[in-house]
Amino acid sequence: MGQLAAEKHTKYILQIEKKKDDIESALTEHLRINGAYWGLTTLDILGNLKAVEQEAVISWVMSCQHESGGFGGNIGHDPHLLYTLSAIQILSLFNKTQILNIPKVSTYISTLQNKDGSFSGDKWGEIDTRFSYLAICSLSLLNSLDKINVEKAVEYIISCKNLDGGFGCTPGAESHSGQIFCCVGALAITGCLHYVDKDLLGWWLCERQVKSGGLNGRPEKLPDVCYSWWVLSSLIMIDRVDWIDKEKLVKFILECQDIENGGISDRPDDAVDVFHTYFGVAGLSLLEYPGLKAIDPAYALPVDVINRLFLK
Amino acid sequence: MSEAVPSSYSDPSSLLYQLESILESDPLIDEVGFVHPSQFASMSDTSQANTTEMSFWSKDHKVGISTESIHPLYTAAKHAFMSSLHQYKMLIPLHSKKVDNISATSSPLTGLENELMKHSRALLLLSCDFGTAWNCRKEVVLNKQDIRLYLDELSLSSLVLSCSPKSERTWSHRRWVIKMIAGKCTNLEEILKNESDLANRIAEKSKMNYRAWNHRCWLVSYMPESQVIDELIKYRDWAGLHVADNSCFHYRTRLMSRTLEDSWYKQDLKATEICQLWKEEITWSEILIKRYIGREALWLYRRFLSVCWMKHFAGHSHTGGSGSGSGTHLDLFVENEIKLFRWCKRIPDNVFEDYQAQAMFAATYIIWLIKEMDEDEGVRSRRSVVVEKVGEEVEQVVNKVCPEKAFLLDLMLTKTKV
Ligand SMILES: [Zn+2]
Repeated sequence: MGQLAAEKHTKYILQIEKKKDDIESALTEHLRINGAYWGLTTLDILGNLKAVEQEAVISWVMSCQHESGGFGGNIGHDPHLLYTLSAIQILSLFNKTQILNIPKVSTYISTLQNKDGSFSGDKWGEIDTRFSYLAICSLSLLNSLDKINVEKAVEYIISCKNLDGGFGCTPGAESHSGQIFCCVGALAITGCLHYVDKDLLGWWLCERQVKSGGLNGRPEKLPDVCYSWWVLSSLIMIDRVDWIDKEKLVKFILECQDIENGGISDRPDDAVDVFHTYFGVAGLSLLEYPGLKAIDPAYALPVDVINRLFLK
Repeated sequence: MSEAVPSSYSDPSSLLYQLESILESDPLIDEVGFVHPSQFASMSDTSQANTTEMSFWSKDHKVGISTESIHPLYTAAKHAFMSSLHQYKMLIPLHSKKVDNISATSSPLTGLENELMKHSRALLLLSCDFGTAWNCRKEVVLNKQDIRLYLDELSLSSLVLSCSPKSERTWSHRRWVIKMIAGKCTNLEEILKNESDLANRIAEKSKMNYRAWNHRCWLVSYMPESQVIDELIKYRDWAGLHVADNSCFHYRTRLMSRTLEDSWYKQDLKATEICQLWKEEITWSEILIKRYIGREALWLYRRFLSVCWMKHFAGHSHTGGSGSGSGTHLDLFVENEIKLFRWCKRIPDNVFEDYQAQAMFAATYIIWLIKEMDEDEGVRSRRSVVVEKVGEEVEQVVNKVCPEKAFLLDLMLTKTKV
């Protein structure tokens, strides 16, 4: 079996920053802050966060903040929970959440909660359980969960549970591994995992593993490295990770590496990107691959970062 | 006619101007695609020289954009959009104080709004999830309060979906429009039908598109009862041709679930009709399972149908069965499922992968059924009968075709509820 090309991946991530002018980079500039979170977290898991110019990153993150308190995906872009969590996660990596005006950010988030407990992603009102996770994870990292009605938030998430044990983005929506991660993560953070039928959900999740060892996001789909994260972290949170073949999954992720230039792709031999590089490395961390920092399955941040935040 | 535009001498802002003019000149454009310049030759009249230098192609309300031009176009569109947006944000606070809108058509605000709409349209065709551009369109439309503008948003988002069918922001924009007009327009039902058709067309071209199907599931809560039934019947054949598309069967799950809502089947007349509908769906599902060997989505759909059938029909006496706990419906149903399992677990001598998968799905289906019987008071008493009848056979199949799933047997053998 191949090895993790850790050094190559570090180099790959560090040079993305320099390539701001190529077309892929231009077409994804509206979510650059997500990209920064994926890249920086990967570097931290690989033990190489020091290689980054911390000051520059932090001042750029802060310039993505909107007057409402929320963060945009880049400078001058509208705020959204999707980008607000990434900003908070990046600041957490650098132990810098204290530079935030926490009441302001948490007010931005809490005003997006609706009467039924659900969350809108921004002021335009789209509702999705992903936004519940983003809000709950953000507020928890800021120690401000008391700003929202947690009970209602949990109630809404539970109402999105399907008969197959999985969760969708709204009540009655199809189960999807990404949504399941969000729902289980939010329930884990709020201490409400007892609402999950662990056997049923674990069953659905373990059926995501296909012959190659990779995991897919939904029935009949091809395996994809990003689901190593979503399925695996969910299985860990509900204590059913032994229901999949972990060795085969490690092998699948390693096969998706670009050994020469670094980076990880969705499937073997596809083009690499920072998104799948992060999920591949984070997945390997969950699988206790040697030489990697442990990552927290609910907060999606290194365990030492979480400990630093909560044990203060 | 087809129009070819040479681009060799075009700078980015004139490229943008060309694209915006093409979009402006034909409001009926319904498809945009990105084309490698070498393909332009085969799409254009041969009389046109230098097709490799073309940036755009348009004919019959379709527009092709050269892949070589995407980057400069995007840069120009983004700059144009962001600078108009900047001006707009400075002007808006001044305007909101004015009450009269007599001069609205000629005000600098209107001019700026037109610019914003023009640039954001070009930008979104190139970068479909550029949320800020969608948001500013919402802002402008909201300020004008003209139903036609909302409908224009539906057209633009269909156009964006024609080249980016999975764009989450685009689908979300449609939902925003529909929520805004739901109370205002008289032809909501027609709009919902069109939405469902659009989602279906896109699902046809872009397989297992979660966003398209999710949008369609979202529509269900707005549908009147008659449309729910229509959708179930109208798209049954389509589903039969797309048996690997789990989303399409989930959509049926959503529709079927709505028929179980209280307001529906508490009406006595409806109850028999709906029971009939469920019977037909279960029979149809069995036909598909036997016809298409080893399809995961079909088995998952059957899990759903069976659980609901036991819970709402077979296990209880809603359906005209007399007396509580009369097991006749349930016994018949379970008998049939065991037969189905036995039919599907046979693996021919020249073993094909599909048959192995079929046997695995059949076995895990029975385990599922047994586990779910345990969850439901109305049918729990029958659980041990099933375990006794097929437990061993199921175990054999699991050990043979998917020993890695042996832990599932525990779910069948251990009772969780007493
Ligand atoms: Zn992926």
